Amino acid sequence: MVPRATKSVLLIKFIHSSDLHLGKPFGRYPEDVRVRLRQARADSLVTLAARAKDNDASHILLAGDTFDQMTPTPTVIRQALNMMRAADHVTWVVMPGNHDHVNATELWRQVAQDAPPNVALQLAPVPFALNSGTTLLPAPPTERNPGRDLTEWFDTAPTAETVRIGLAHGSVTDFNSSEDGASSIIPPDRAKRAGLEYLGLGDWHGQLQIGPETWYSGAPEADGFKHALPPSALLVEISGPAAPAKVTPVPTGAIHWHRATLDLMDTEDCTGAQSRVLPPLAQRALTLFDLSVTGRVGPVVRAEIKSACEQAAPDFLWQNSDLTHLRLEHDTADLDLIDRQGALRATAEALAKEATDETISPQARQTAQEALSHLFSVALEA
Amino acid sequence: MKLRALHLTNVRKFAAKRASIAGIGDGITVVSEANEFGKSTFFDAVHALFFEKFSSSAKHVKSLQPYSGGAVDIAADVQTGEGDFRVEKRFLSRKSAKITRLSDGLTVAQDDEAERWISTVLGTATDGPAGLLWVRQGQLGLEADSAKEKSLLMETRRDLLSSVAGEIDTMTGGRRMDRVMRSVADSLLEITTKTGRKTGAWKANSDALEQLEDSLAAITAQVQTLERALGDRKQAEAVAKRLDNPEAKARRDTAFQSAKTAMEAARVHATALKAAEQERDLAKLKADSAQADLDRFLKAIDTLQAMEKQTSDATTKARNATRDAAHLSDVLDDAKKRYAVAVEGVSLARKAIEGAKTQMAAREAKTRAAQLVELMQKAQAAQSERDTAHAVTKASRATPEWLHRSEEAHARVCELNATLEAHATTLSVTYVGDARISRNGKALMADQAIVIDAETRLDLPGLGQMTIHTKGAANDGAARLASAQGVLADSLAEAGAETIKDARAQGTARAKAASDAVLAQAILDTLAPDGIEALRTTKAETDLAATEAHADPLPTIADLEETLAKATELEAQERALFEAAQADHASARETATTFAAMAEAAKQALARAETDTGPRKSHDSRRAELLRQQAQLQDAFAQVLAEFQTVTNNAPDIATVAAELKRAEDTVNAAAQERTQVGERLAALSSEIRTLAGNGIEERREELIGELDVLRASEGRFAQRAAALGRLQAALEAERDAARDTYFGPVQEELKPLLSILHRDAALSFDSESLLPTGLMRDAAEETLDDLSGGTQEQIAILTRLAFARLFARQGRHMPIILDDALVYSDDDRIIQMFTALTRVAQDQQILVFSCRQLAFQDLGGARPSITVTDA
Repeated sequence: MVPRATKSVLLIKFIHSSDLHLGKPFGRYPEDVRVRLRQARADSLVTLAARAKDNDASHILLAGDTFDQMTPTPTVIRQALNMMRAADHVTWVVMPGNHDHVNATELWRQVAQDAPPNVALQLAPVPFALNSGTTLLPAPPTERNPGRDLTEWFDTAPTAETVRIGLAHGSVTDFNSSEDGASSIIPPDRAKRAGLEYLGLGDWHGQLQIGPETWYSGAPEADGFKHALPPSALLVEISGPAAPAKVTPVPTGAIHWHRATLDLMDTEDCTGAQSRVLPPLAQRALTLFDLSVTGRVGPVVRAEIKSACEQAAPDFLWQNSDLTHLRLEHDTADLDLIDRQGALRATAEALAKEATDETISPQARQTAQEALSHLFSVALEA
Repeated sequence: MKLRALHLTNVRKFAAKRASIAGIGDGITVVSEANEFGKSTFFDAVHALFFEKFSSSAKHVKSLQPYSGGAVDIAADVQTGEGDFRVEKRFLSRKSAKITRLSDGLTVAQDDEAERWISTVLGTATDGPAGLLWVRQGQLGLEADSAKEKSLLMETRRDLLSSVAGEIDTMTGGRRMDRVMRSVADSLLEITTKTGRKTGAWKANSDALEQLEDSLAAITAQVQTLERALGDRKQAEAVAKRLDNPEAKARRDTAFQSAKTAMEAARVHATALKAAEQERDLAKLKADSAQADLDRFLKAIDTLQAMEKQTSDATTKARNATRDAAHLSDVLDDAKKRYAVAVEGVSLARKAIEGAKTQMAAREAKTRAAQLVELMQKAQAAQSERDTAHAVTKASRATPEWLHRSEEAHARVCELNATLEAHATTLSVTYVGDARISRNGKALMADQAIVIDAETRLDLPGLGQMTIHTKGAANDGAARLASAQGVLADSLAEAGAETIKDARAQGTARAKAASDAVLAQAILDTLAPDGIEALRTTKAETDLAATEAHADPLPTIADLEETLAKATELEAQERALFEAAQADHASARETATTFAAMAEAAKQALARAETDTGPRKSHDSRRAELLRQQAQLQDAFAQVLAEFQTVTNNAPDIATVAAELKRAEDTVNAAAQERTQVGERLAALSSEIRTLAGNGIEERREELIGELDVLRASEGRFAQRAAALGRLQAALEAERDAARDTYFGPVQEELKPLLSILHRDAALSFDSESLLPTGLMRDAAEETLDDLSGGTQEQIAILTRLAFARLFARQGRHMPIILDDALVYSDDDRIIQMFTALTRVAQDQQILVFSCRQLAFQDLGGARPSITVTDA
């Protein structure tokens, strides 16, 4: 570590964010939802700029994966740069991630060609002066999976008497924080070993503090149901070398991704329980809601739950109700709903027996279960 | 209930009359009458009695009324568990119904009570009887004509089946089951066809999935192309960077200039070296020339001296050789003579042997000639003997065939003669005196039997003549004998014989001559197998060979051969000596010639040497001069050579210098060319990358992957839904079929033995709505009733009624079966089988059959009451 003297320097205040994944296609969702999700990600640049302005931050540090692919469309690149150009009150410090790594040469050639003056690309591991008293040490990934610790050079990087800020993208070794399942290679104490006042990390889409001065900012806009906390960026304030960084989350997300699990027993108020896990009505239009229902209920209750889910579906930007794991529980009274005797009753009893027959395959039991469930529904209507 | 008698009064053709059928039995009863006798009238009347209320004026009730009008009276005597009763109804006029107990004439019930009594007896739940047991003329099916009756009959069947198997709707699920099954089928048909192929939304999903997979493969290929292009461009940029490096370029240029300078210096040095080399070669030529002059002079001196000695030696040797050759010529002549004598000796010895052998052969020929003379004589004798025998044989006509014919003719004559003698009249006389009886002037001998075979006239001296007349038969025998004798005579005459004895002698003589000829020929063949001429030729040749034979004594061949061996050995020795002498003589002549030539050559060489060396007195001074010149020029050459070595040692390797220059130049050119190529490659790659990247293919690929995930998940859900619906449909069908089987089991059980009489291993399928058979299953295939022949439909209708009747019977409700001219469509074989079925059922079931087919129904058996008609 480079020996340093503690003295008062100019204050720096910046926004730390990462993983914007501009141009992410969201192919698993309907076309209208995709458009909305993509737009929300593009709008996150505007939100970050607004948060910087609101908090008088001079820089916005993007710790990788600004773009989702190595070769995004010219539209995605150009519109992103235009938004950055419009936010000329801040300097955008853009470092590649594993999705848009350094060897995505066409991307960075385009960016370099069209970038406005307030965009600083960090394509090489060389110190970069954020201001006269603050030096940024970037560790841009050279490949999708570099296979080595790119932050190692931080320890010996000469930065004179300035504040040292590290910026990296990847997973730390004692916490598998890779979104893509890559190996963890950044040591958790890199900030301490390299004398960094702050180490801003990207790759993990949820916000996470690794150490006193080491943070994952998380993505400014969620792209799945994995992370429970609302998306936000980090406002970082440093008063001088060796001074502790003040880190404050600032909300940024516009779209809500909400996943809920509903475990039902036939004795409780099932439809009431279902309504309780739903987000507030006003929020639903900007919410993707994924409900997984488990437990065991009778055929009538199951039909009610299904109906309630179908009833609530139009409220949401997108919703999915998975009743696959909601087991159908039935007794004599339930079977009586189909018929008290005769061929219909015999069919129901045969399927009910088959659905619990441990001697046949789980697939066959599941088929019998669904067949019985269907018989309940059509018999009740017949 | 069982019918016992039927009575019709004023019904149709029985206007103002009473027609009755009595004596209806427990089993089969056949009323067989001609057409228009009124059988159908009885059938319709009884149907109305049990099916129509007495107050009814329905069309078919009115049809019973005769043209003359009036009340229609119909009555039936029935036997129930309560006793025997008469059921009687009067229709259309003074309508009434009455039940009368026959045992005491008591009226049990009247009008509506009588109707209820009938219903109770027949056991129907609703008004009216169980009409399903009736079969009208030509009826093929089981359904009734009217909706009301159809409904009534169906309810009757339902009651009957339900009473033994439960409610069908309860068992099969009824219409609710149908709606469920229809709903399941509709749901399944939304996603699969009837054959199980995907359709509707599922097929659309699968098609979209397949299309997206194709798209993903295509775009993945594009992404891979892009990645490859990016990688290639990265490598190309690295190459360009390396080529554009100023230090590297300066190193290449400097190396090239240095190589060019070195090459120029090498070329100058090479010119100097060439000049030194020429000077060296010239000095060497001069030194070598002086040395050669000296060497030639010294060699000529040596040659002169050698030729002088050689000439002397050669002359001496030539003279000696000439002398040796003359001596050897004499030796050769002597050897030649001795050799000729030895050769003559051998020739004489060989001739002596040949002469001895020739004499021995002549002597053997002489002996052989004598033998041949004897042999020829024998052969000629045999030839003469054979020719004589041949002549005898040829001259004689007594061939064996002739002799055989003659013998047969003779035997015939003897046979006839014996026969004639046996049957002939004989005459013998005995004389006392001298008088003699004569025939044809010739006296008859005494005591000698004379055959009288023809009319014979005898002269009796002193008495006159006596004529003896023979019978015809005797005359015929004589004629045949004469004929045979003629034949014999003719045969004998062929060979000139007079008697059979002569013939036999001639035959024997001819046979002997033939035998002698064969023997003589055999001897001749033995003595002269090639003929006598061949013997003569051989004899002539032998005579010629024996010409030189003489009787002088002969030496032995062995002695002569020993003499030849010795002569041969001597000839070989002399030949060897002769050949050796020839060789020695030739060698000596060659040696003499050679030495003579050598002597001449030596003389010529000596003359040349004298010319080369010049006068002998100048030899020393000339040698000294040549030695001096040789030493001077050799020193000059050594000096020039040393200078040349110095220049050579300092010369650079021009090939190496040239190679270095070429390498440096190639390096510069290759770098320039490579830079051009890399520049072009970079431009092409950048263009390709911009095109691919501009299309957002990575983004599209990710999008397609997401869409595929959704479609695959949907595919799984569709498959699971199809499986669940399929399973549900199968379960529903299985349970409904099981319920139907249970429901129709009782009637199937009764039907099976009856049906098997006509169709082995056949079964009927029933409709759960109408409760009637809908199809016939046989040979693993089901045929609808409408597709069956009229005869088969008719038979199934009757058999089904019989089965239902047996079901009634099992409940203790015996219902009569009434058939009106049924089985009109059935062929003879099937009618017999149906009779068997009817007879089987009739063991505990009353069956009343009306038929106009008297002949066909003769085989049915059963009671045969007649219709009696009286005035009313």
